[in-house]
Amino acid sequence: MEELTRLADEAAAEVTAAESTQAVAAIEARYLGGKGSLQALLRTIGALPADERPRFGAAVNAARARLEAAIAERKETLARLERETELASEALDVSLPGVPIPRGRYHPLTATARRITAALAGLGFEFVDGPELEDYEHNFAALNYPEEHPAFDEQMTFYIDDQRLMRTQTTALQGRVMCDRTPPFRIATIGRCFRYEAVDATHHHTFHQVDVFMVDEGVSLSHLKGTLKRFASQMFGGDVQVRFRPDYFPFVEPGVDYAVFWRGRWLELGGAGLIHPNILEAHGIDSERYSGFAFGLGVERIHMIRHGVNDLRHYLENDLRFLSQF
Amino acid sequence: MRLPVEWITAYAPLDLGPEAIASRLTMAGLEVEATEETDAGVVLDIKVTPNRGDCLSVLGVARELAAAGGTPYLGAPQCPSSEDEPPDAALHTGVTIEDPDLCPRYAARIVENLRLGESPAWMQRRLVAAGMRPISNIVDITNYVMLETGQPLHAFDYETLRERRIVVRRARPDELLVSLDGVTRPLGTEMLVIADAERPVAIAGVMGGADTEITQATRTLLLESAHFDWKSIRRTARVLGLGTEASYRFERGVDPDGVVYAADLACRLISETGSGTPVPGVVDEYPRRPAPVRLRLRQSRCSELMGYVPTEDEIAGSLMALGFSVAGETGGVFEVGVPSWRRDVTREVDLVEEVARIVGYERIPERLPSGATTQGGDAPGGALRNSIREFLVGAGLQEVKCHTLVAPSGLDQPEPSLGYGDGARIHIRSALSAELSGLRRSLLPGVCDALRRNARHGLGPLAFFEIGAVFSSTGPATHVEREAVAGAMCGPMSERSWLGATRGAEAFFVGSGVVRALLTSLHADAACEVAGGDWEPDARLHPQRQTRIVSGGRTLGILGELHPAQQAELRLRDRCVVFELDLAALASASHADGGSFVPFSRYPAVTRDLAPRVSRGVPYEAVRGIVRRAAGDILERLALTDVFEGPPLAEGLKSFTVSLTFRSADRTLSEADVEAALTQARDRLRSEVGATFQED
Repeated sequence: MEELTRLADEAAAEVTAAESTQAVAAIEARYLGGKGSLQALLRTIGALPADERPRFGAAVNAARARLEAAIAERKETLARLERETELASEALDVSLPGVPIPRGRYHPLTATARRITAALAGLGFEFVDGPELEDYEHNFAALNYPEEHPAFDEQMTFYIDDQRLMRTQTTALQGRVMCDRTPPFRIATIGRCFRYEAVDATHHHTFHQVDVFMVDEGVSLSHLKGTLKRFASQMFGGDVQVRFRPDYFPFVEPGVDYAVFWRGRWLELGGAGLIHPNILEAHGIDSERYSGFAFGLGVERIHMIRHGVNDLRHYLENDLRFLSQF
Repeated sequence: MRLPVEWITAYAPLDLGPEAIASRLTMAGLEVEATEETDAGVVLDIKVTPNRGDCLSVLGVARELAAAGGTPYLGAPQCPSSEDEPPDAALHTGVTIEDPDLCPRYAARIVENLRLGESPAWMQRRLVAAGMRPISNIVDITNYVMLETGQPLHAFDYETLRERRIVVRRARPDELLVSLDGVTRPLGTEMLVIADAERPVAIAGVMGGADTEITQATRTLLLESAHFDWKSIRRTARVLGLGTEASYRFERGVDPDGVVYAADLACRLISETGSGTPVPGVVDEYPRRPAPVRLRLRQSRCSELMGYVPTEDEIAGSLMALGFSVAGETGGVFEVGVPSWRRDVTREVDLVEEVARIVGYERIPERLPSGATTQGGDAPGGALRNSIREFLVGAGLQEVKCHTLVAPSGLDQPEPSLGYGDGARIHIRSALSAELSGLRRSLLPGVCDALRRNARHGLGPLAFFEIGAVFSSTGPATHVEREAVAGAMCGPMSERSWLGATRGAEAFFVGSGVVRALLTSLHADAACEVAGGDWEPDARLHPQRQTRIVSGGRTLGILGELHPAQQAELRLRDRCVVFELDLAALASASHADGGSFVPFSRYPAVTRDLAPRVSRGVPYEAVRGIVRRAAGDILERLALTDVFEGPPLAEGLKSFTVSLTFRSADRTLSEADVEAALTQARDRLRSEVGATFQED
């Protein structure tokens, strides 16, 4: 028994004094291994009287367990210290730039169009694409433009020939959709339009427009206002007010231009109104039973407002100093 | 149109400041674009929409202001009517209308003892405020009456008219007229003219003639007040390139019933200012008197379309304030008489608009639509466009948007093998500049211009793409419009880094990497074909550094380095790589949803390298194809890890190192399995492309 106590104390002292995980492993082998001291001591049990054997055995096992625990604890402590030392030696200047990852960006009009699409899709509007090279019929005649009407003065047109032209408004899609659908429907389109305009900070011969329309029973100016309010609050955030002012477009009656009150000012966003019954009737839709609304807006304008851009020309110039800001 | 506030409020007495008046007008539909302080008080610049010709006058604006402001409209100034006078004028002249469709009404009055001089100061002040230059008492009075009533007038020197009479007719072949501005104008037979017994003396509704202009010598004048077909006037003004205050008003609609009144008002002013003595009576030909328009307006229709229920008083009050007659209201249905100056009002819905705007749009509540609807979502092509954009943006390319209308250029050529028509350029008719003269056939000029523009400013990285429409002619009056995606890259894709220079890969392989990864991300099965086989190289590209991308026998597009000549033209230092793919072809080649799930093997893989040496002309694609076919089903993956030329290899040889990963779906592969596959691959490479191996 004295031998056991001596061995245990000696081992404990060695463990405490060990300075590396390797040293602890050596101590472990020396005392606890198959050929270790404690194992050897246990083999002396046969020399003891039978009644002392259980007590001696229990004492050896208890000493063994204590030593194992001490070794494990010391190992963990030393391993932690060693890890810390190693990590300390691996210090980097974390303020250095990282590996450069090539990164592109969406064109700001694409980003804006995606935002518009998400807002309108959420209100049940299905997007449809139409051609940029349109015909006179869809761009004007089907939209209730009388021949030789002064309304054409606002639509200076790039003609290809007598029948074909570059669309001046995405509204041109309305007739195409009404030809092969029956109400109710909610449709939207987004795309490029062209007008013969002298280019300056607020005018361009090439611009992007959204056109939105729905036809159903009982569609009123009130629904137009409600939809615009919801749409505008999604585009600009927060609660926005919507204001109508009478305006004229051959394809709507009543026709209005709409503005939203945002950050302390009224922003005129585009034209709107109830789809002219002449258009519904021309496409075989009963204008007594069905009515519809339509509204349009400029994609550039939305982006200019949201980001304080002051010159329309930036959008087609593709200068990285502009594009990289969004 | 510029009008002083005091002139308008003379007929619509509203106790408001100019800003408040401007705001009322704007909210009623007459947008005041600017206000200006002048000698004649505040002047409003009013934008009148093309449907409201009746508002191109002081009285028209005053009527709207009164209705919107809830004040009585005082009406046109009192004036003795020539129709109540003895018909003396008929003794002096006669009017013949040969084309009543183009001239529904023509009235003439005669003024004797003309004393040409200045108009009174108050009149001049108003004219100047309205933007008109005072000229003489007679011209000023005709302009003044036009501004006040909207009816254009014209004064002829009576004694210069042959036979002293008026014939309204179309111009005869080869007739000419020297107009008031001194220009000799050839007249077309579709043009309406005012003539005397022999010759045209004015272009109807557009401009008078120089020969019959009033002068200091004029003693008697014939004053014209007439109504013309707006389409005819607009066409004539456009053909002649001659827009005037008169033609502007006639195009937009003048009140046919106000013709004689305007002449009478002018005569009253002539008389009052001592400018001449009007002869009593008027010669008034009115062969096409429009039938009065009467419309039915249902209160229920108003509420259905407005989403607001207007009271009967609101409906009747709004309409009457605007000069409509309202009668016989029974069961919520009104019988409405449309005034002669409102030719834009033809249907019930037009009346709903009048009620809505006078009641005020602010009364209309906001409500979201309910009921059955379409499934909201992006356009059918939207998903593919978004996938392409997401990939290319992630790969480091900046999206750009370039011009659709372009000048002709060497880069603007369509890829012929896409098989769209004859590929001819579509021209804009009567284009004003080369830049806007035609439609792009390719996106390459645009994306390459983005390279040039940004390189010039020292900006970067130079890596751009665009998705957009391109056009080409397919026949005399037919065309194809299709969508494409194109990219252009020049120099390193990311900025220089302290971590070491970006590896200088050939530009071609940068583009090739992007395009191949794009195709993979779209699950598109496509292969690259080398020029020289059954297709002509694209002349815009380096003849030895281009490839055509094909899928299932269909061309998707092209990829290659820009031809060095094009690169030089763009003033770019580094080689550029470009690509252009057809979106429709890409859509049919891609399986956007991916395929069905294939269970993967649980057995271990074996990796071996194969390093065939082949002559320099053998393309990698050939080697890859042979290995793929020869190694059989157990070849899971094949990757090129090295390409080597130079010593110790003999001149004209190169070696590929290909890493092959083998795996079986149903067992652990043995060394013999793998060796058999490798032997098969080596043998095929030897026999098909003359490959040799180090171990040979």
